[in-house]
Amino acid sequence: MATAEVRFQPERITGRRPGTERRPAVLRLLEAERSEEIFPLLLEEIIALGFPRALAVDVNFDSGEITPAAALKWPRHQVEKFSGGLWMSDNQLVSVFHSIRPAVLNKTSFHSKPIYIHPILYANRNLCWEADRIRTSSCLALQNFRREKKVRLEEQVCSTCDMRAYAAALIVEVPRQVSTQAINELGELIELANRYLSRLFKVEHYYNRMRDMEITIAQMGTVMQSMADPVILTDTQHRVIMQNKAAERFFKVPDEMTEGLVRAVELNNLLFSAALSSMLVSGSDSHRDLTLVDAIEGEEMLFEAVSAPTYGPDGIQVGTVTVMRDVTDLRRADQELRSNYDKLREAEEVVRQDRDRLNLIIENVGDPIVVCDREARIVLVDPLAQELFGDPSELPRTAVQFRNQTQLTAYISNFTYSFTERETSPIRLYSPAARQEIEYDARSGKIFDEAGQVSYTVTVLRDLTALRRVEQLKVERRMLEIEKFAATGRLAATIAHEVNNPMEAIKNAIYLLAGFMPETASPVYNILKSETERVARIVRQMLGLYRSTEQVKPVNVNVIIEDTLLLLNRQLQRANIEVKSDLGVLPDAVIAADQMRQVLSNLVINAKDAMPEGGKLIIRSKHLPNPDGVHGWIRILIADTGTGIPPEMTRSIFEPFVTTKGEKGTGLGLWIVKGIIQNHGGKLSVKSQLGRGTAFKIDLPVAKL
Amino acid sequence: MNEAGKYRILVVDDEASVLLTYRLILEQQGYSVAACRTSREAIQAVEKEAFDLLLCDYSLEEQHTGFEVITAARNRDAVVPAALLTGYATLETVDEAKLNNIGVMFKPIEIEEFLATTANLLRRNNEPKQESNGEKGASPQSAAEGGEHRDGRARRRVPSGPVKS
Repeated sequence: MATAEVRFQPERITGRRPGTERRPAVLRLLEAERSEEIFPLLLEEIIALGFPRALAVDVNFDSGEITPAAALKWPRHQVEKFSGGLWMSDNQLVSVFHSIRPAVLNKTSFHSKPIYIHPILYANRNLCWEADRIRTSSCLALQNFRREKKVRLEEQVCSTCDMRAYAAALIVEVPRQVSTQAINELGELIELANRYLSRLFKVEHYYNRMRDMEITIAQMGTVMQSMADPVILTDTQHRVIMQNKAAERFFKVPDEMTEGLVRAVELNNLLFSAALSSMLVSGSDSHRDLTLVDAIEGEEMLFEAVSAPTYGPDGIQVGTVTVMRDVTDLRRADQELRSNYDKLREAEEVVRQDRDRLNLIIENVGDPIVVCDREARIVLVDPLAQELFGDPSELPRTAVQFRNQTQLTAYISNFTYSFTERETSPIRLYSPAARQEIEYDARSGKIFDEAGQVSYTVTVLRDLTALRRVEQLKVERRMLEIEKFAATGRLAATIAHEVNNPMEAIKNAIYLLAGFMPETASPVYNILKSETERVARIVRQMLGLYRSTEQVKPVNVNVIIEDTLLLLNRQLQRANIEVKSDLGVLPDAVIAADQMRQVLSNLVINAKDAMPEGGKLIIRSKHLPNPDGVHGWIRILIADTGTGIPPEMTRSIFEPFVTTKGEKGTGLGLWIVKGIIQNHGGKLSVKSQLGRGTAFKIDLPVAKL
Repeated sequence: MNEAGKYRILVVDDEASVLLTYRLILEQQGYSVAACRTSREAIQAVEKEAFDLLLCDYSLEEQHTGFEVITAARNRDAVVPAALLTGYATLETVDEAKLNNIGVMFKPIEIEEFLATTANLLRRNNEPKQESNGEKGASPQSAAEGGEHRDGRARRRVPSGPVKS
């Protein structure tokens, strides 16, 4: 505040311009260019009026203190007496201050002679510019001048321009009987000085405010420049008024001009201008994405521009301030985040579908399923498994559950730390439903985490009781069949062997008799010969089964089929039989080739005999690999379109001496076929329909090495 | 071959009736036949004279086999042709026979096959001998035909068809 700078300088003022002619007080006071020069001039003028001494005191509104500001012809030690404070209610000076009216005090504690006290206050006859411009009457200077309300020294701050007023008082020693006219003259002089003072004060206030503003502007400028984001102030025509360094990088034509740089800057300005226009259209406070070219790096950068209009003091828009945020990395990250999120959603969907499917499977498996963690602790069970092991979230409740859990944990621990991914192993558990111990087939698989460590194991338990029973029954039946077959075979062989020698002799004897038979005996002789031959055939076939004259070795079954067909080709042609063969690619089978040849020729001849009117013979072969990729079967199908086998006979045709060919057959062909196939570990079956035909199916085991 | 120019064949079988019919059939073909029922008898026979062919039942009296007879005969003549006649033979037996260049015929034997095999075994063993005596430079086929003519009665009655097929 200018008032605070007023200093007490009596010497300088008393020595001022000695000998110059006195000019009117008004003009002399006008010489004051600063507020602090007013009081010394005023005091001089007061003395010039003929008063012996005068002084000025002013009020510090911050502290409430009243201190002497300037004095003339007043002894220094007496001047100090006029110090005081606004709070001193019994102080005569203070009372006058509060009344804001001049007064003559004849007797005071400050001075021995009467004094005239004239308080002055910041006051103007007219509104100040600021109040005038915003059209308000609440101007402190005017209020003080008009004395519209009671002046309170405590509230001397202008509500419009925020200016703090001053308060002071001129104290003049007056003669005891001073004339009213002299007092009036003095009062007018002081009021005049106060008007000058108020104006200077106001100017100084503006000057101070201007300085404050300059500081503020400088500060704001620094703030703006130090921002890393481009900030641009534009006028209403989108012309750049001001921009910070960050913005210059994009919008200011650089000192070293290259065509590329200039073009980049021009492009940026164009883009920015366009963005501003569209932003102004869309709303007062809007943001928009803006791609700019970094003129130096030559890279495209994505910005988010936020614009706000700037208004003049009169509320009219004068421009736009735009702050741009570099969101290149942000957008990139955002995009990545978004795509990752999408991926996650997709993966989640897949997982959800998988889970639903898995749940469906689990619900429908009908076998107990147990999921264990890597510590072999049960984490999940289906209702069936819960019967066996109890609820995994609780401790086992019954001894049975405890026992079963122990069994399972032992097995799962073993499996978890084994190197196999899958395992099938029998496990005996007590079934509360069956009230007995049951053998289960535990099929387990591992679920690995990303690091390749086992995270879970899944075990499906299959109740093998029923299966075992059926299997056992099957095995028993098969054993019985094989045993029966073998016994029959042994018996037949024994008989054949015993018959063999006598028959050999009979046969030879018949041969020897050939030339000695009388003509009349010839039919009888022929019967003897042919029947003996038939017996020989039977014996030969029976014994043939036991003459394993060849080692087994890997053979392609197709070659045997082709050999057999070639050998029997003429017979088949003569019988008017069309052969259709469809031979697949086969791995070698380890078999006795001559035995297999016998099998095939027996079956082909049977087929031929079943088609006396001719027909079709179908031979097919194919490989049936097992899922393990190593083992498998070779299937040979031999079918005819012949007479077929009566249904009541299909069960017995593989037994010895059963024939559909009457006298022509030995009834041993299929028996031998079956024996050979069984010796090879194969399977033989037949399907036949009377009048339609017969199909034999042979399955031979093969192993791919 | 004996003095009459006939091939001499030894037949061994423990069944008297079988032995007799084999002998008669072979004699009908013009061979000279010695028949023995036991291995002991047969071994004595092969030690006493040389045979052109041995036809032995595999299983003889007690635990004796035809191999013993053939082994005894081959002590005298290492290349004498021989065949086993058997109703039942294990794989080992057949292998042993093959190894020792002994033919195997399974009973019941078709008489045509029996005679063809017999003729074949005799010819195989005797042909090179006759070829060295006969026309030089002739093809094996013509040599065989020529040999047949010279062999006279015994040879002419051998049916050659089944042997070739």
